[in-house]
Amino acid sequence: MGAKILIVEDDYDIRRNLRRLLESEGYQINEAENGQVALEVLEADPELPSLILLDLMMPVMDGFQFREKQEGSARLAGIPVAIMTASAGLEEKQQALGAKGALQKPLEIDDILDVVKNCI
Amino acid sequence: MEKISKEMLTALRQTKTVSALDAEKLFGLLVDAIQEYAIFALDPQGNVLTWNKGAQKLKGYTQEEIKGRNFSTFYTQVDLDRHHPEFELQKAREDGKYEEEGWRLKKDGTKFWAHVVITAIHDESGELVGFAKVTRDLTDKKMAEMALRESEERFRLMVESVEDYAIFMLDQEGRVASWNRGAERNKGYTASEIIGTHFSKFYPEEQVREQRPQADLEEALRNGRLEREDWRIRKDGSRYWASLVITPVFDRNRKHIGFAKVTRNLTERKQAEDALYYAYAELENRVHVRTQELLEETKKAEEAVKARDQFLSMASHELKTPLTTLKLQSQIRKRSVRKGDFSEFRPENLIELCSEDERQINRLTFLVDNMLDISKLTTGNFKLVREDFKLAEMVQETTERLKPLIIEKRMQLSFQMAEGATPGNWDRRRLEQVVSNLIMNALKYAPASALEIRVDEQDGMARIQIKDSGPGISKEHQERIFSPFQRIQANENVNGLGLGLYITRQIVEAHGGHISIESNPEVRKGTNFVIKLPLKTALHPKGKA
Repeated sequence: MGAKILIVEDDYDIRRNLRRLLESEGYQINEAENGQVALEVLEADPELPSLILLDLMMPVMDGFQFREKQEGSARLAGIPVAIMTASAGLEEKQQALGAKGALQKPLEIDDILDVVKNCI
Repeated sequence: MEKISKEMLTALRQTKTVSALDAEKLFGLLVDAIQEYAIFALDPQGNVLTWNKGAQKLKGYTQEEIKGRNFSTFYTQVDLDRHHPEFELQKAREDGKYEEEGWRLKKDGTKFWAHVVITAIHDESGELVGFAKVTRDLTDKKMAEMALRESEERFRLMVESVEDYAIFMLDQEGRVASWNRGAERNKGYTASEIIGTHFSKFYPEEQVREQRPQADLEEALRNGRLEREDWRIRKDGSRYWASLVITPVFDRNRKHIGFAKVTRNLTERKQAEDALYYAYAELENRVHVRTQELLEETKKAEEAVKARDQFLSMASHELKTPLTTLKLQSQIRKRSVRKGDFSEFRPENLIELCSEDERQINRLTFLVDNMLDISKLTTGNFKLVREDFKLAEMVQETTERLKPLIIEKRMQLSFQMAEGATPGNWDRRRLEQVVSNLIMNALKYAPASALEIRVDEQDGMARIQIKDSGPGISKEHQERIFSPFQRIQANENVNGLGLGLYITRQIVEAHGGHISIESNPEVRKGTNFVIKLPLKTALHPKGKA
């Protein structure tokens, strides 16, 4: 099995398509619909993912809040993160969050695959 | 007198024997020679005995013409009627002398003003032998006097008649000595009331106590003039603002005889000034108010623009979600084809592929429609399309359509409706929108909870209730929730642009209905949206039904 990726994204169809794409490339996929659920998933899984694809705008707990929590956790802090957003200011956000990668929506699958390769 | 001396000398030289001078003759020459005075003698009855050059010059008669005639010839008809000539002679007889000034007549009938002295002449025995009359022409002087008096009279009348200015005289002590119409008008006293009173009566009390009136007179006397603006008091005690000038007056001998006072009522001017001042103040105030209003309007306009920009930004963001999916789907399929993997293009799969895309397109359409609704609402073009239908049926159908999502979100759905509820006349499509929106809200905010949908009638209104058992909405959020762009959490990004509830309320109210929230997070009993609709849509300003 390939590396494990956690997809944190509130839109069902985007999650579905990302899973299809990445699984077809051999990656192992976990999903979470918001930051809160992502933490629960990470907590429950003894095996940490090699990359978190993190959407920024989500209900309940957004990408920014998740990142805070992640960095505050010794166990989770080391996991590289690639952010996804439809908003402007991608570079600033990447820097502000200390993300290894950043993807602008609407997503280009070539970009997705590149970023994933680089971050893992 | 020089002339007389000259003539006398001439007469003297003509007489050869100076020592044997005839005194009488000399006297006769003397009298005759004098031309400035008419000097002549009358007999006791008043007939002319002698004549001199002066008399001829003055009265016009020659000696031959007048000798023997009565001196009453020289008198005007008025004097003759009152027997004045006789009176004069009588007086002269009694007192020895009579003196007067009066009109006399010349030979040609013209009048002249004469100064007359009649002296009774007695002989040694004391018997009256006649009268000596000396007459002098004072016409010029008289004319000048009359002209002066006339001019003075004209001036007095003019001053008297001036209404706008109080012009009056004070004596040296400051008592009112004269009055004019303007003074009466300004101050309220008539002449008879005020003449003799001290002019401090016009001063305000506090100034009288400070001895201002006296000080003013002294200053006027010192500087030759005093000019000031100050308050003055009328007869009725009221005050007016006045401009005043006090000038000391001297007679011909430079003796101080009093003061001239000119007072002008400036109240009108002051009132005009005050009115202007207040008008300016009022204008400034209005400008200020208007500026504030404009600033507020500008602020509102700026806020509206900001809101719109926010809206457009959010709209763009929202639209990108289904677009992202469409693009992913599209690119993934291309990728498969390039890799030679045609598995997902099996005929039985093609419909699903198209459905996938269609779902996203529908989402886009939904968003775009929301934006159009907002546009219609804000420009007043929101129209309802009415039809008769049963409310419960519509609600049930709408719920059915959303079943897949309801199931996906693991809601426990219960549906309660009264049998045959509830016929009415509304905009079906719009109410579907409302029901969908509220169900979607419940799915977003209260996933995996109980969803109760109820349709019934109450108090003559149709009622729809959509209740979840989620975390609830606090009172303060309840107030904001129906505003456009409002989210419970500021950073939240949930499908629909945050317009759903705003549009929902607009639709309900356009029907003449009402939407309310029952919810208390502390009690954790969830959120119940209650919609009440009149059975037939009343005309409502928002919806042009």
